[in-house]
Amino acid sequence: MRPLLAVAIAAIGLGLAATVIVLSGEPGFERVQLGPWTSYPHLGAPDIDPYARAAAALDGLAPLGLNEGLAFVARTDDSGAALDSRCAYRISGSDLPARLWTLAAYRADGRLQTNLAGRQGLSSAGLLRAAGGDFVIAAAREARPGNWLPLGRSRSFVLALRLYQASTSALSSAYDGLSLPAIAREACS
Amino acid sequence: MSVAGARARVAAGLDRAISLVPWALAVLFGAVALHLLTLLALPALAPGSAYRRLAAGLPLGEIRLLPRATPEHADAAFSDPFAVVAVCRFDLSKGPQRLRATADGDHPLSVSVRLADGAVIYSGSDAQAPRGRFNILIVTRAQADAIDAAQDDQDEDAPPASDELRLISPRRKGFAMFRLLALREGEVESVAAQRAGFQCSVEKPPS
Repeated sequence: MRPLLAVAIAAIGLGLAATVIVLSGEPGFERVQLGPWTSYPHLGAPDIDPYARAAAALDGLAPLGLNEGLAFVARTDDSGAALDSRCAYRISGSDLPARLWTLAAYRADGRLQTNLAGRQGLSSAGLLRAAGGDFVIAAAREARPGNWLPLGRSRSFVLALRLYQASTSALSSAYDGLSLPAIAREACS
Repeated sequence: MSVAGARARVAAGLDRAISLVPWALAVLFGAVALHLLTLLALPALAPGSAYRRLAAGLPLGEIRLLPRATPEHADAAFSDPFAVVAVCRFDLSKGPQRLRATADGDHPLSVSVRLADGAVIYSGSDAQAPRGRFNILIVTRAQADAIDAAQDDQDEDAPPASDELRLISPRRKGFAMFRLLALREGEVESVAAQRAGFQCSVEKPPS
């Protein structure tokens, strides 16, 4: 009787530990990485794998459906350094293949940041661009001329870039040709 | 004595190790089974899942506009400040569910249909909908068969509902999300008031 009990306890412990460990990592195995930007497009697909589905349920996520758009998150700049709101960042790129795209800065816990301007993000519709369509966004605590993405007081932050009605297919290898904005660190206070 | 004793000890150790193999396999099998079981059960049981958080308490047919993402609003983690999102719950045991929404041509609109376990069984944008109008009927397989049978009994010359997208849901419970996007942050409130004529209604079950 005692060996049976030991087997049951060991199996329960190992099984639960495996679930906790697996779900504490990234949501699913289908990660798309483009520079500092990460996306999990299969979270919004009908054929989502059981690991990703469990992770999304646990986090309470309602990800963008595959045909709604693509969501990318950046926690670091191009050099791999964690984003730090004491620094200013130059976010630059050319027009993105989407009907509308938005960029917003969040605290690490997912809340939007309180900032001086009371603005929470930028959209492609309201962006100032160069003649060729290229754009530069300054992400900083203090006001900047041009496209300014205000940062809050919390030190670490996350950038979320959403491409609505993206013309690239999330299930193809079209990501190879997708060029997302570069994130370069500038001066730090 | 020494050589024979050592051989006996090795043999006894081997016997013991071999006798533990079935127990180790039992632990492994049990752990894998429990791991898979918890993984598959979690989407339906997670207290903070999107379905429970956003839609479980909604009366059928009611559309709820989700609070706008702001720094003060903790429940809208990683929500887009440009998005106006509304949800409605469906339970196909009460009958098929009809979703309607119309885009204004300027503001991107999308609709997604999700099961209670979080699986997205449909998502589409206004660019894919005929004339920017969503007309989605969510049904079970049995309801779809009953609708087809009823239509066969009717006059064959009757015009079909050409713009209707019929969606067969593998589960009875779930929720729909309408997502309307403001082009600029300042117009979010006015876009929210517009709501693009979102409708979510239970249809009479086919007889």
